[in-house]
Amino acid sequence: MTLQALKRFLCLGCGFLYDEALGLPEHGIAPGTRWADIPDDWVCPDCGTPKHRFEMVELPYAVSAPALSRHPV
Amino acid sequence: MHSSFVLRASERGYNHFLSTGEASSYVGGQPDATVTRHSSFNFGPYQAGRAGFGRLRVFGDEVFSGSGCGYNIHRHHNFIICAFVLEGQLTHVNTVGNIDQLTRGDFYAFSAGSGGKHCELNLPGDDANILYLWILPNQLLLPPTYERGHYDAIASRNRITPLVGTADGALRVSQEAKVSRLTTDAAGIFEYIPHSAANGVYVFVIDGAIACNDTPLARRDSCGLWGQERVVLAAGEEPVDVLIFESAP
Repeated sequence: MTLQALKRFLCLGCGFLYDEALGLPEHGIAPGTRWADIPDDWVCPDCGTPKHRFEMVELPYAVSAPALSRHPV
Repeated sequence: MHSSFVLRASERGYNHFLSTGEASSYVGGQPDATVTRHSSFNFGPYQAGRAGFGRLRVFGDEVFSGSGCGYNIHRHHNFIICAFVLEGQLTHVNTVGNIDQLTRGDFYAFSAGSGGKHCELNLPGDDANILYLWILPNQLLLPPTYERGHYDAIASRNRITPLVGTADGALRVSQEAKVSRLTTDAAGIFEYIPHSAANGVYVFVIDGAIACNDTPLARRDSCGLWGQERVVLAAGEEPVDVLIFESAP
């Protein structure tokens, strides 16, 4: 079994970012939680957009990004 | 997302909703104020169309009808939100620290980056028609920024004028994307040369009619083109107003 790289997903309703590496501990999602393991009825915590309207993005963090959000690629 | 297409005005997504309620756009005006939104690409309740164009995800042709109509303050991340005021007046408030009033010809680029809120309002009550473009950034969680510009349709007539991109006077954004505009008052052939033939060019007719690479486009029609070394816009005697968006694949 190969370990797939952790991925990032962007909300198409507002731009909210879900990073598998970081999870959303403040919303009960532990760091390392795969997108596929988040329930289908989960919605964007900022704008309520449903999970299926997120898009996977392969974008780096800005150098200036808040330290807590940065994670080695 | 990289095949060419023609999208007629009537084929766009259509949403018409009261400027009230939870997704509130009603702030302080008439309770029967409404937002009319035509979407070129999938957005919100409209999901029957294309996902986007290159780095562009949202192209909304919106009308705020009624005093106080618009979008109450709400949060964004990452997207570079550009607004182009076609008619009426737009009051824009954001958490970068701007309270701005924009009228016909004015435009802004609000990069939400690591997080920012904004409010979009039509205060006077005459219909405000605004084009909203949401562009993906090339990096996540950039510092939020706001910049505004003005397009002078008279002084800039009969030439393609860059509004967003790397040209002098254009607003810079953190993406390989450009927005230009062409307003004519005489017949002519205008060539748009993309930075690279690998880029896509999305042509949207604000007013009038034009032929784009020989495809006739009427008011609010649009077309998306890929793999072109040049895009030829043929304008007739009647005035025409066109927005041109270019994006990396």
